[in-house]
Amino acid sequence: MADPILSVDGVSKAFGGLMAVSEVSFSVQRGEIMGLIGPNGAGKTTLFNVVSGYYAPTRGKVVFDGKDVSGKPPYALAARGIGRTFQVVKPFPGLSVLENVVIAAFLKHPRRADAEAHAWKVLEVTGLTDRAHEAASSLTLAGRKRLEISKALALEPIFLLLDEVVAGLNPTEVDRTIELILALRARGITILIVEHIMRVIMRISDRLVVLNFGEKIAEGSPADVAANPAVIEAYLGEAHA
Amino acid sequence: MELLPQALVDGILLGAIYIIIAVAFSLVYGVMHVIDFAVGEWIMFGAFAGFYLNRATGLDPLFLLPAVFVVFAGIGYLAQPILQRVLSGKRGNPLLMALVFTFGLGLMFRGLAQTFFGFYSLSTPSRLSTGSFFFEKGSFFLTVSHVRLAGLVYAILITGGLQYLLKYTDFGLGVRALAQHKEAAGLMGVNAKRTNGWVYALYVGISGMTGVLIGTILSVSAKMGPEYTIFAFFVVVLAGMGYLAGVPAAAFLLGLIQSFFLIYLDPGYTLLAVFGVLYVILLVSPTGLFRKGV
Amino acid sequence: MRDRRLLGSLAAFALLLALPAVVRDTFFLRVSTEAIMWIGLALTFDVLAGYTGYLNFGHSAFFGLGCYTTAILMVRAGWPFPAAAAAGGAAAAVAAVVAGLPTLRLRGAYFAIATWALARGIQQLALMMTITGGPDGMRLPPFLDPKFFYYVMLGVVGATFFLLWFLLERAPFGLKLKAIREDEQGAKALGLNPTLLKIQAFVLSAVPTAVIGGIFAYWVTFIDPASTLGDLVSDQALVMVVFGGMGTLIGPVVGAVLIFAFKTVFWAYLAEYEVLYVIILGAAIAASVVFLPNGVLGELLYRRGPRKPAASEPAAPVPATSGKAEV
Repeated sequence: MADPILSVDGVSKAFGGLMAVSEVSFSVQRGEIMGLIGPNGAGKTTLFNVVSGYYAPTRGKVVFDGKDVSGKPPYALAARGIGRTFQVVKPFPGLSVLENVVIAAFLKHPRRADAEAHAWKVLEVTGLTDRAHEAASSLTLAGRKRLEISKALALEPIFLLLDEVVAGLNPTEVDRTIELILALRARGITILIVEHIMRVIMRISDRLVVLNFGEKIAEGSPADVAANPAVIEAYLGEAHA
Repeated sequence: MELLPQALVDGILLGAIYIIIAVAFSLVYGVMHVIDFAVGEWIMFGAFAGFYLNRATGLDPLFLLPAVFVVFAGIGYLAQPILQRVLSGKRGNPLLMALVFTFGLGLMFRGLAQTFFGFYSLSTPSRLSTGSFFFEKGSFFLTVSHVRLAGLVYAILITGGLQYLLKYTDFGLGVRALAQHKEAAGLMGVNAKRTNGWVYALYVGISGMTGVLIGTILSVSAKMGPEYTIFAFFVVVLAGMGYLAGVPAAAFLLGLIQSFFLIYLDPGYTLLAVFGVLYVILLVSPTGLFRKGV
Repeated sequence: MRDRRLLGSLAAFALLLALPAVVRDTFFLRVSTEAIMWIGLALTFDVLAGYTGYLNFGHSAFFGLGCYTTAILMVRAGWPFPAAAAAGGAAAAVAAVVAGLPTLRLRGAYFAIATWALARGIQQLALMMTITGGPDGMRLPPFLDPKFFYYVMLGVVGATFFLLWFLLERAPFGLKLKAIREDEQGAKALGLNPTLLKIQAFVLSAVPTAVIGGIFAYWVTFIDPASTLGDLVSDQALVMVVFGGMGTLIGPVVGAVLIFAFKTVFWAYLAEYEVLYVIILGAAIAASVVFLPNGVLGELLYRRGPRKPAASEPAAPVPATSGKAEV
């Protein structure tokens, strides 16, 4: 097997006495879309926060692109090629849509003019060019989610962490976002995606990792995971989208 | 060396009062997410209220505490809507603007106090002021003034009262819910505006009462406010922001620092020492003494 | 700020340069020098307040540091004025890094109180040390040339203005600061190092302030802790920025001019009511927050109809059942 782009190695994260993530290990291969699913409170966002540098793992390590990045701050990881979106979207409300993306573009394009040009191109990909000069706070939820993705894209990442990017969108918007994600994979970006909407994640993921109560309970292709009794039991009572 | 027990006891008694200031201060921060820059001014007004009411009625300041609480709580309840308006403001950073607002308010209060109360330092007399317990053992002697002990009793009562309020009443439940998650609390029927009003009223009331005590134990002056604002802040940051259990230790530490400077060194350096300690601790452990802060 | 505004600023600067040639009255020249000084102090305050979202109530500490460094070097070590003033700036840079490292990690509100406490502590220090002359202050070698000081102040403040314009409005730095201000956690994910940026902003805010302080010291010839390290410098800078409009460069200029005008008139006629000034200052700050949340400049721009919608109006959410994908 070719070397994985991301290797989560026995990662645990504790908050005081609460073990949010416990001994989770899995790898993400280059160029694949890996889905991360599990009931509410399973520890998915915590895991995301560990992988993207917002939390240092209590135990275990995170190896990205062959190097141990456990505990490195988010901006260092961004420089190494990890981009992420936030479940609760974080636009810069007082700034325009374009300015939001330009800030991310500065990472690889230190000069203002280059950054703006690059930001425009990203906005074309995500379809926000007609809102470029409007305040980010004036966007609808769908727009804000696209802005989230635009900002992560402007970093020119090789690995994207998408945290519930389609929650709250109408079916048409969901399909558009799925197309976008598949297009990103086609460009060679590896994607780790957390999502609750089952039809979405089942459709686009190459493989899945399932968490429950902070532990990994299954890993494999969507078909395998869907048939896994432990997974079914974990979701018993959960509404499917 | 003979003064050491005195310094220690004085420090702890002072610290008890600082606990109350810090707890009330944190309460407002936890629920409304506002740092009230005017906390020292509320204390100052309380101290003056104690002084003038005592002069007017002849009642011992300790008996005036309930009245002061009610009046100040009322003022706080009335003032809170303006703060609320600033907090729900349209500008990008309402919390920052709320800070600026309370700062302006504090400045205005200081000016008003200087206008009406003059520049002198006063002291509120109490029947307990003159009495004290005196211990002597070998070369160690200890004077524990009654009024400072009263301060300790006050601190215990208020802490107990707040604990009870927060843990065992519906109001307290609403307050804790609001502090943890505003939207969810609202969905559960907690009226944020009204709860905020009561919380702020509680905070101003407590600060006023604490001011009366401080006026009796220490002194009253129009310029005393900023020092207590800084003390409140010191305790809260040292304890670890949001970590209430750390407040007593931090408050006692502050009391000890202050009493040591009063007894052994030049009280003028107290503020510098306070800041020095804070600086070092922040460098070493930004989340407070117990590393439990936010 | 578009290039039109830059041209306007350059024109205004040119006018100010020509002023002494036209106006001979030394009193007017001195008032103008002080007005320009306050513009400088308001601008540097806004770097941290408006752009970065951190209120530095220790602003007066940097001002006073510049005053005293310049005074001490000139009086006790015989340094020439330019070197002494520059040294004040250097001292402020060091102080900003040292003070900023632990305090900038705190959230904005706590930073405000921390710097406030620090400023008071420094004032206390100046009152107690002999090298600073204690409460009696220090006298600098007298040099009475209103035109000289006018030009020096204008030069420094002007340079500061254009440097800030470049760094905050043109270069990426300003936008990055705003990102930190808007959402620090989110900014980290985009590759920004908040602590580094904040310290840079802090230094940028501190150095011109100290140099201005050095000029002020030499200009007024006498300094003491009360006038240079007291709250008043920070308080006035704060009201100028809040009243004028935070997060812009023109806002503090407007605020500085207006508040300074008020201050001059007040002290000319109501000097006995010193305490009243503090009350008005406090009330002005509180009132500005409540009634002029975007400052005078912000309100004017808002009335004229903004180029982009006011950053405060979120659009109504589009119903999820619409056929078209709304963005």
